[in-house]
Amino acid sequence: MNSTPPVLEVRGISKHYGATVALRDVSFVLNAGEVCGLLGENGAGKSTLVKTLSGVEVPDTGALFLAGSEYRPRDRNDARRQGVATAFQELSLVSTLSVAVNLFLPDPAVNRAGLVAMRQLERQAARILAAHGVSEIDPAALVGDLALGQRQRLEIVRAMFRRPRLLLLDEPTAALSDRDWLFDLVGNRLAEGTAILYISHKLDEIRRLCRRSVILRNGQKVLDRPVAEMSDDEIFRSMAGRSVVERFVAAPSALRADAQPALRASHLSSDGLEDISFTLMAGEILGVAGLEGQGQARLFRSLVGLYPLRSGRIEVASDGRMVRPQRSPRAARAAGVVLVPEERKTEGIFKDLTTIANVSLPAIDHASKLHFLSRRRERALVGQVIGDVDLPEHFLPLSIAALSGGNQQKAVLGRALMARARCLLLFDPTRGVDVGAKQSIYRMMRAFVGGGGAILFYSTELDELVHLCDRCLVLYGNRIVGELQGPALSQELVLSVAAGHGLERAAVSGR
Amino acid sequence: MAPPGVPTMAEPAGRARAPRINPELLPAAVVLACAVLLIVASTLLNPGSSFVPQLDAVLVTSIFLVVASFGQGLTILLGGIDLSIGVVVGLAAIMVSTLTNGSNAAILWVVPATLGFAAFIGLVNGLGVALARVPPFIMTLASGISFYGVGLAFTTGLAQRPVAPGLVALMNARVAGVPIPVLILLGFVIIATIFQNGTSDGRKLYALGSSPGAARVLGLPIAGLNILVYTLSGLCAGISGILLAGYSSAATIDIGDPLLLPTIAAVVIGGARVVGGRGIYLGTFAGALFLSALETIITVLNLSQGVRDIIEGAIIVFALLLQSERWRVARG
Amino acid sequence: MSAALRRLGRLHPTGGAVVAVVIFLALYAIYAASEADATSVFGLTNLFNNTVVLAIASAGLTLVVLAGEFDLSPIGVIAIANVVMATTSVGTLGWFGALILVLVIGAAVGLLNGWLVATLRLQSLAVTIGTMIACEGAALLLLPAPGGAVNQAIVDALTGEVLEVVPVALVIIAGVLLVWLVLARTRLGIALYAVGTDAMAARLSGLSAERTKLLAFVLAGVAYAFAGFMLSCQTGSGDPRASDTLLLYMYASVAIGGTSLIGGRGGVFGTLFGAGILSVMQKMLFALGAASFYTSIFSGIIMLVAIFIGNASELLARVRRQRVA
Repeated sequence: MNSTPPVLEVRGISKHYGATVALRDVSFVLNAGEVCGLLGENGAGKSTLVKTLSGVEVPDTGALFLAGSEYRPRDRNDARRQGVATAFQELSLVSTLSVAVNLFLPDPAVNRAGLVAMRQLERQAARILAAHGVSEIDPAALVGDLALGQRQRLEIVRAMFRRPRLLLLDEPTAALSDRDWLFDLVGNRLAEGTAILYISHKLDEIRRLCRRSVILRNGQKVLDRPVAEMSDDEIFRSMAGRSVVERFVAAPSALRADAQPALRASHLSSDGLEDISFTLMAGEILGVAGLEGQGQARLFRSLVGLYPLRSGRIEVASDGRMVRPQRSPRAARAAGVVLVPEERKTEGIFKDLTTIANVSLPAIDHASKLHFLSRRRERALVGQVIGDVDLPEHFLPLSIAALSGGNQQKAVLGRALMARARCLLLFDPTRGVDVGAKQSIYRMMRAFVGGGGAILFYSTELDELVHLCDRCLVLYGNRIVGELQGPALSQELVLSVAAGHGLERAAVSGR
Repeated sequence: MAPPGVPTMAEPAGRARAPRINPELLPAAVVLACAVLLIVASTLLNPGSSFVPQLDAVLVTSIFLVVASFGQGLTILLGGIDLSIGVVVGLAAIMVSTLTNGSNAAILWVVPATLGFAAFIGLVNGLGVALARVPPFIMTLASGISFYGVGLAFTTGLAQRPVAPGLVALMNARVAGVPIPVLILLGFVIIATIFQNGTSDGRKLYALGSSPGAARVLGLPIAGLNILVYTLSGLCAGISGILLAGYSSAATIDIGDPLLLPTIAAVVIGGARVVGGRGIYLGTFAGALFLSALETIITVLNLSQGVRDIIEGAIIVFALLLQSERWRVARG
Repeated sequence: MSAALRRLGRLHPTGGAVVAVVIFLALYAIYAASEADATSVFGLTNLFNNTVVLAIASAGLTLVVLAGEFDLSPIGVIAIANVVMATTSVGTLGWFGALILVLVIGAAVGLLNGWLVATLRLQSLAVTIGTMIACEGAALLLLPAPGGAVNQAIVDALTGEVLEVVPVALVIIAGVLLVWLVLARTRLGIALYAVGTDAMAARLSGLSAERTKLLAFVLAGVAYAFAGFMLSCQTGSGDPRASDTLLLYMYASVAIGGTSLIGGRGGVFGTLFGAGILSVMQKMLFALGAASFYTSIFSGIIMLVAIFIGNASELLARVRRQRVA
């Protein structure tokens, strides 16, 4: 046995929020120079565990030990002083402050007069960023002006540069395009003896980085074993509590030979979009691939009028003709084009409404007579779609904020069906969604195109694009640089095109 | 009832308990009970009075606040605020008294004209907020100050004129022993509640107030809903002003000023969230009633203005404290 | 100098402050062109005397607004400060003792507000209505009707000029600005912006929203009390209702000065010019011979104009920054 105590020992901690149990009697250890994965579906308690270890939340019962001595952080600062640093999933950066100030929060260095020395901070910040392989971020820039991926890097650097004993990385690659950058840094820290807890949804990352992984389900630890000993299926089963034999059930394409166009974009150009043209056919799932920040978000938003276009034409099929709806989300919805946005919390759900109200909203006028609501009719309308998205009926009267990410997303998709969408624009719909809900979403997508609908589908998970899509557009530098289909639609090729390794657009197109 | 920022927790397993009643009814009911207790207390403290007349008196004096704070509640539901309410109440009161000038003949056109003008100010607010994207706090503050100037311009040098006796009579008459203002009040509360919680428009307001971002992506008529709400708020302030003119049988331009802050207090005491998305009119009504009952009991006690203010301020703080305390218990 | 200015811009990202300065200068130019007295020492003293109370009170309010909260209690604090000065500054306490007493009262009310809002997490917009009413009540108890007297020494000294050239009120406003410039560069100043921008991110970064907001309310309370002290010097007597009309104009000053009412953006610099705009406008309209009600109408319009231009320049600055980045 090793005589030095582990860097972190978690001993039987539990945490309740009201009637809900977030953590129940969780125990595990973490040694110096070790990176341990923490897997679990959304709502399994991962974030609560991170917050508890970071000093944001206090556990109800149980104890934590840091290098053998009891660790009871009073707050974030106390945890930091004791050598625990965290890169949070929701990014804890302040948008109106500069990169340099953010890096040194909460106590940027002050001079003898007690004033914060900006210039000195910026020099120091530039040094630190460079030492972590980040050169493209200006230390004097406001965080609010950075791209999401840059903010994620900053968050990671901020957690790392203080040389913590224990480093918590909570979904660090959610907005990161260059994962190798992170993996190198993690390697460096390990070499210095830092203990790392790596929280992720992505199994490939866990397999690549971690020898061992802890799996949480419903707040309880269900597994703590070397990763190599476990098969994918075993891991998914442990996370979901049921068997997911095959993640992607092969299904025939719903695209018929005589399919008509459902949506046609011609020469869309804008600030950050260059000459984008494509046609989405009825019955088709058209994928969009791209590293972070290659214009995909702007493309999706521009299609429903949420992002202004300088030039170009968007046409939507309506009664067999192509029409050009006005550029507003309202007009797009009337034309049958509905966006399921990236930011579920702020743009997807209506957080204070019940689940049923969230789903019924687009059809609320149909559920009322002379503006007076009929709950019975609302219920009946919603009942028509919740089956299609596998949303259990007993969630309907609950506040949507109480649901897991996966069920929230199902409600958002149900709402899109409620809006009688014929053309769905799904922007990374499975982000932050548990394994079971992912399967439901895949099923719903297939059923939707099977019924003659069309889907434009962006995902950060390449295997989804490869398995679900009929064709896949690849974006790089705000333009379409490739279109892959058939045998050419493979993860390797998508990745290589997405990374900007030239490929003539027509080269692999079989059309 | 967890406030925003509480991390997402594991969802209730299995068949979860669905709340049978709207959880927002609870704060409303508690505040309403407190208001009734205050009225009972003021009855006991005032020998020779009995509960029902005391209740009537409180209801009649509360009507201005009850009506005006409906509009305030709607703007707060959308995450906004209406700071022009005091001015609009004053302008409506002065308009109705100046134009009727002590005669009933003009009531038929003056009342609609006054309401139209009040709604117009609200419309200006709504257009500023919805189309010009001016923050509501600033838009309504600015329009309030400006229209106050307009009111001054029209009334400078005018002698105060009496209100039409018809309006005065309305505020003092009874039907089957019940004061007419109480009937107006009850009707108003019912209509307002149905509008806010029983119509598709009300549902859209909650949606917009809850998540403006999601409302935008979904394509809800954001501008239209904002304009609707501020116009309604102006209209309510107008109604309140006309009633106030009838009640006090004369009007000055400053008559509505003391109503502005209580409308905000009523909404918040009633359990609404200042940043929007949550709150019901029954709560606001209870809050308004509570404030009026408080005013009454302090009058009954015959205290000096200074002591009255201190007690009133302390009780407002205390009412808010009680609410937050109850939330903490509800959260476990 | 440009580097220093850029840095300043980064710390306080607001186009509104610049707009406020420009509008102020423009209004002053019109005023100066139509009123010979405007540029005289007497005229300037008069102008700054009219500005100083609103400026100081609004500066305090700016701190609370930056931290993302509202405060409706200032007029209550000013009322108490005013009646305390009117009842104690002549007697044994002397003007200095009275000033200290007043500042302590302001800090105490600020502490109470801060405790209720930051520690107990009550909604500031509502809870400060309560403390405001209670403070006004306390002021009425101390002095039920207008009256009392303020120590003549400070009445003379603080409404005149330094060396018969520089208005004392201007010196005081400059002092407030100096305090702000120092405060903005301390950790507390940075925390104010952080907490006002995103309380959750600030907390996860290790900042204490509770402590920051508490301090903002206390400092604001002291500022209101000092504004009440200056008001007393102006009027020379006490009136528990003298401050009633001030509240809306305080928010107007803050808004015109480019501070976002949802927190995190802006600063006291703009607020001081916002207050200046409101009083120079009054002077200007008077000099032009306009009826007094125009002051109200124009106050509202200027608020909207300032917000519009401020938003536009903010947008431009943002686009420029992104082009550079």
